Amino acid sequence: MVTGCQMLTNADWLALWVSIQLALVTVVVLLLVCTPLAWVLARRRWQGQAFLEALLALPLVLPPSVLGFYLLLMLGPDGPGGWFAELGGLRSLAFSFPGLVIGSVIYSLPFILQPLKNAFASLESDQLAMAAVCGASPLDRFFSLVLPQARLGYLSAGMLGFAHTLGEFGVVLMIGGSLPGETRVASVALYEHVEAGDYASAHRLALVLLVVSLVMLWWLFRWQRRRSVGTWW
Amino acid sequence: MSLEFAITGKAGTLSIEAAGQLAPSGVTVLFGPSGTGKSTLLNMLAGLHSCEGSIRFGEQAWQEEGSRPLPVWQRPLGMLMQKPTLFRHLSVQGNLDYVLKRRGNGDELARIIAETRIEHLLKRQVDKLSGGEAQRVALARALIGRPGMLLLDEPLSAVDLPHRESLLGMIQAVSGSVPILYVTHSLDELILLADRVWLMEQGRVTVQGTTSTALASLSGPLAHRTDASSLLQGDCGDFDAVDHLQTVRVGAATFLVPTAAAKGNGSVVRLRIAARDVSLCRVPPVHSSILNILPATVIEVMPAGAGQQLVKLELESQPLLARLSSRSVRDLGIIAGERIYAQVKAVALV
Repeated sequence: MVTGCQMLTNADWLALWVSIQLALVTVVVLLLVCTPLAWVLARRRWQGQAFLEALLALPLVLPPSVLGFYLLLMLGPDGPGGWFAELGGLRSLAFSFPGLVIGSVIYSLPFILQPLKNAFASLESDQLAMAAVCGASPLDRFFSLVLPQARLGYLSAGMLGFAHTLGEFGVVLMIGGSLPGETRVASVALYEHVEAGDYASAHRLALVLLVVSLVMLWWLFRWQRRRSVGTWW
Repeated sequence: MSLEFAITGKAGTLSIEAAGQLAPSGVTVLFGPSGTGKSTLLNMLAGLHSCEGSIRFGEQAWQEEGSRPLPVWQRPLGMLMQKPTLFRHLSVQGNLDYVLKRRGNGDELARIIAETRIEHLLKRQVDKLSGGEAQRVALARALIGRPGMLLLDEPLSAVDLPHRESLLGMIQAVSGSVPILYVTHSLDELILLADRVWLMEQGRVTVQGTTSTALASLSGPLAHRTDASSLLQGDCGDFDAVDHLQTVRVGAATFLVPTAAAKGNGSVVRLRIAARDVSLCRVPPVHSSILNILPATVIEVMPAGAGQQLVKLELESQPLLARLSSRSVRDLGIIAGERIYAQVKAVALV
């Protein structure tokens, strides 16, 4: 009988673990960054807004290799990323876990931003005004009203961002390389199995990724259906 | 404590310009047709809509030239909007706790819940409430915050007819201790509630005065409505239980008012008399079905649309309107200063 642990090699488990770590860190960073960003995009009208929204939506349509190429230049020793890396004692942010996080944050941003934007846009202004009349300060209103009323948006954002980062390949290949335990994520490990002709290992890893992604999306859709709230696309 | 303001601002293409002083108790009705900026003025006073000028509440400056306005959440006020606007993610109890936690006083909680009759609703989700129930919860929530003033923006619009009266009664009861600014475009609500009236036209507050004066002012818009009415204040006398007629004394004059049950002897009441239910005669008729025929003095006569005239009378120092045909006015030769008899065909207690 094949148990879960025997199904994948230690190296593949490590790659999967790097993927999960990367997805978790990316989601946390993006939820923090996108909350104020989604708020000003959804609830304010200002000059240049359309251009910024187009820029932020670019990762949806750009080939990941294009994104990866620019990121490689930016994060490398001659780009601004290299300058920051030196502060931390590294030569470059490319081919490092922090570099991978930066890449993933940009690559997965639309998947977190959009659900939050929709959740904020559907908040009723009267509810916010009434909370103010009831004595709630702006920060208080965020935690006592916006967060609970937009919780579905946060859940969707978190799940989609996590699943999307887990499935990332092109960007990682360009800027991450394949350092075991550092930048070798599951999708890259799968690619290397195929390159090496080890289809059995490729099958097993692909199946794990497929099942994890499917279960997460299934759970998300069930949750949304139960709350009878539409999805964002 | 009372509110004093002189502000200007914009609402779309409409310029708002208003100044006034809210009486320290009672209901002031802000009245006018839709789209004249009543709700915007209310939101400006609350701090929900930006404006220029000054707003003071007692000793507290809410807004002054050259300094940042006091944010809404620091102003001691309560508000009801057209829709009840309860927090959707909380239960009824959760809505009450929301304000209790921030500025309320638990001592008053039980009394307010009893007075607004929401004990049985506390555990409910807010989307399971009727319009009337939700607005009662909203009123309770506003009162728990111990407001120095209540701003009510057409609070009956989402409440079905049978429940309006009880909510109006609650609002009236509250107005004894908290000054209320009440926005409406319904003359009925004005007559039932108002101690004072501010009329709003095209972004400006044009008339401020007591309800009976505003209703009877021939230069104002209320007297020219087809449902124009007068309000007389009087005190109750005997009740005829056989014919269900309540005696109401207005100065030296006596009205007989049809009503279901006796009012307490001496209790102060208001009588509503529609201008179209008042006719005039020089000699009181001897055999008439009309119960209330009273001497009055003509103050002013003014044309009021095709073939109609408005006659403003004074009855025991209180204004009374009559809407007559131009021919009747001419044939009777009615002119200002004359003594005449007013026949009141219908009168109601409010």
